[in-house]
Amino acid sequence: MRQEARVGEDMESRKLSCELAVQQFFAYLDRALKGEPLEALEAHLEACLDCCDKLQFSRKLDAFVKDRLGEAALPEGIENRIRRALAG
Amino acid sequence: MEHGVRSQALETDVGPRRRFEELALPDLRALYRFARKLTGDGAAAEDLVQDTYLRALNAFPSLRDPGRVKPWLFQILSHLVTDRHRSAGREVPLPSPEVLDRFSLYDLISEEDPLPYSDRLHDDFLAQFPDEEVRAALLALPEAYRVSLVLLYTEEMSYRELAAVLDCPVGTVMSRLHRGRKILERELWECAKRRGLVRTWKAGS
Repeated sequence: MRQEARVGEDMESRKLSCELAVQQFFAYLDRALKGEPLEALEAHLEACLDCCDKLQFSRKLDAFVKDRLGEAALPEGIENRIRRALAG
Repeated sequence: MEHGVRSQALETDVGPRRRFEELALPDLRALYRFARKLTGDGAAAEDLVQDTYLRALNAFPSLRDPGRVKPWLFQILSHLVTDRHRSAGREVPLPSPEVLDRFSLYDLISEEDPLPYSDRLHDDFLAQFPDEEVRAALLALPEAYRVSLVLLYTEEMSYRELAAVLDCPVGTVMSRLHRGRKILERELWECAKRRGLVRTWKAGS
């Protein structure tokens, strides 16, 4: 019984760690995590395959959206039109 | 009135306009690229860029550091978008931040398993979306989230640089980028439901 409770506690703490980890994925992908939070997340990812898969999906989704924003050439004559507008 | 003052200033002194053009026009390509992705429309992007330059010329005397003209121009363009779209009312209705923060497209795809024969379920789910639908999902984002995300994707700025352009604390940038992506995930899921890719009767979907 006591052991079961401990297993339950471990699972609970693991779940919380996953929740916290997921909350930091975007900052991690944007290279905005530093120091201790970064180390804690990387340690979690080393031990948690679920979170690795989720992080990988977030990374792919970012690239997927970014690619679909498309590139458009600068319209011909735009600089002259702006110069004329600036000249009033 | 404001326009009149600017025209008067230009008539009496052409020098500052020339200096402004020399400093600011080299960033035209970057500004247009940003505006095009933000608006999804060539003509709207061109108007937005032109309005940005007009407003920037007007505010030119207040630019203290000419070396920071590019983030300054991005800031003006971002404010224009925020101001315009605030009254346009084309945003998607949003759930509470708590519900949004818990939303996970990854989990929903795993639970619903919309492509049972796929061994690359999540990749294949994304591959179902035509480019226009992804762009439409991005365009439906409230402007504060859309501007932040497009700036990140287009200019690859750091959170600190984004905070300077968006004129807000780094914590706000972080929260907008997190929540903006969650709204986008939710929009893609809604889009998948509309296209019949996933069942709509299941609780929690």
